[in-house]
Amino acid sequence: MRSGLLITVFLAGGSLMSLEMASFRLVQPEFGSDIIVWGSLISVFLGGLAVGAVLGGRLADRGPRLWRLGAILALAGAVTLTLPLYSDAVLEWMFPGEGAPLPAEWGDGGNSDQLVVYQPPDLRWPTLGVGTILFGLPALLLGTVTPYTARLFIHTLGKVGTGVGHLYGASTVGSILGTLGTAFYLIAWMGTRWLLASNGLLLVGLGLVLAVADFLSPRGEPAPDV
Amino acid sequence: MKRTVVFVVVAGALVLGGVAVWVGAQSATETEQVRYDRESRYYRVRVVDYLDEGRRCLHFSKSQGIQSSMILDDPIQLDLRYSRTMVAALALHAAPKDVLLVGLGGASIPRFMNKHWPDIRLDVVEIDADVVQVCQDWFELKGAPCLRIIVMDGRMYLKRSRKTYDVILLDAYAADRIPFHLATMEFVQLARSRLKPGGVVASNLWESSVNRFYYAELKTFQMVFPQTYLFRAGSSGNIVVFGALDPNPTPKAAWVARAKALAGDRDLKFSLPALVADEYEVLTDLRIAERPLTDDMAPVDTLRREHPKHFETAGTGK
Repeated sequence: MRSGLLITVFLAGGSLMSLEMASFRLVQPEFGSDIIVWGSLISVFLGGLAVGAVLGGRLADRGPRLWRLGAILALAGAVTLTLPLYSDAVLEWMFPGEGAPLPAEWGDGGNSDQLVVYQPPDLRWPTLGVGTILFGLPALLLGTVTPYTARLFIHTLGKVGTGVGHLYGASTVGSILGTLGTAFYLIAWMGTRWLLASNGLLLVGLGLVLAVADFLSPRGEPAPDV
Repeated sequence: MKRTVVFVVVAGALVLGGVAVWVGAQSATETEQVRYDRESRYYRVRVVDYLDEGRRCLHFSKSQGIQSSMILDDPIQLDLRYSRTMVAALALHAAPKDVLLVGLGGASIPRFMNKHWPDIRLDVVEIDADVVQVCQDWFELKGAPCLRIIVMDGRMYLKRSRKTYDVILLDAYAADRIPFHLATMEFVQLARSRLKPGGVVASNLWESSVNRFYYAELKTFQMVFPQTYLFRAGSSGNIVVFGALDPNPTPKAAWVARAKALAGDRDLKFSLPALVADEYEVLTDLRIAERPLTDDMAPVDTLRREHPKHFETAGTGK
């Protein structure tokens, strides 16, 4: 049970960073490889984690159940799984490229003495918007996992520090492996869309396993109040 | 007391080491003069004069790779071999009027084209505003009636602009590599869609060794254009791939003849027809067992590290 929870936060942490790496690849064709793009996407993920942590902690105090944790993970997985289906539409909507009218001062070219005729569009709001719409919800849902798990994992007040420490350690090691694995191998092996889909499947599968584990475990035994 | 001694010894060693490095750096730069060295939003941009060679070079980041090179006594001349090969694209098109260059570098091609064909309209897309400024300050880039510079990501510009071109020259490098979104089939198709009838796209590929990325990129061009050509630009590790909309192949003799006409009696400082005759290779029918790059699947960095294993040499063009 307890090692299962550690594995859960480990996988959730790995999946989160894998999604973050995939998000860079997903938007680069539209937005280019600008530091503004990376900064925006990282902020969106951190924002999702922050909101998720608050909500996850509150939800856990209402009576933690393993199947609810499983449902959260499965929902995050389902969103990720369907993401490639609408990502292009969202990019196009937030940052209409083709056919967008050119500013009048561009002229026909060759008519102006001005050498530099145009500065790049402001990428800050479009990247924050695209990031939030596409990855805000998965990041939020995955952000609930660690505080929620803490309530299931820690049974005695005297061990809160140890328990939280173990969970954060497992989650962060998962994040490291998710980042390196994606950057070094997965992007090259499966491409961006399959990477998103695989993460979705992993999370849905993990959610189902937790739900089944809850179903098989003795009933009527919510985690004791600490 | 003991601690103080250790401290003094360590501090002394550090100071001596620092002095040694500084002295070493001084002697190393006797013939090199750094004119500009600053972080831009994208790179560390350096302009270095190599006094014994009479050259001024543009470097990005720590890479020793040369983005651009200019002969100080003759700034118009195309110094890097590949930039001469890129100009051959103008000859592949019969009569270019509108040309787009993606990636300004040290402005060699704009200087050259403005001098020799001032009536060809040239648009340049460059992502880094500092590079534009550096070109104006150090690489003799001047405003001209037929030249305009757009500061934007190359792909973003092509998508937003509906302007079409006779020739598109792709030379966008982030230090030593092409950003993946400027190498994929979707991008090459976008460039193709911005060509006028009979248009041509030429792309500079630089690699220090032959690797799988080379072939994946050649395959990408093959899949997008009815006719493709491949010029090996000397021994610098540059190759230039040409994609042409014209469904009929352009024989070597025809390309050489157009190069002669294009050069006319201009003093280009090199023979464009001879270059075409030397480097001409047909790519269209070359069988390449590599998958093309796509936005979804463009493992540029992985492919660059791998040697081509299953490359078939059979069926080399005429």
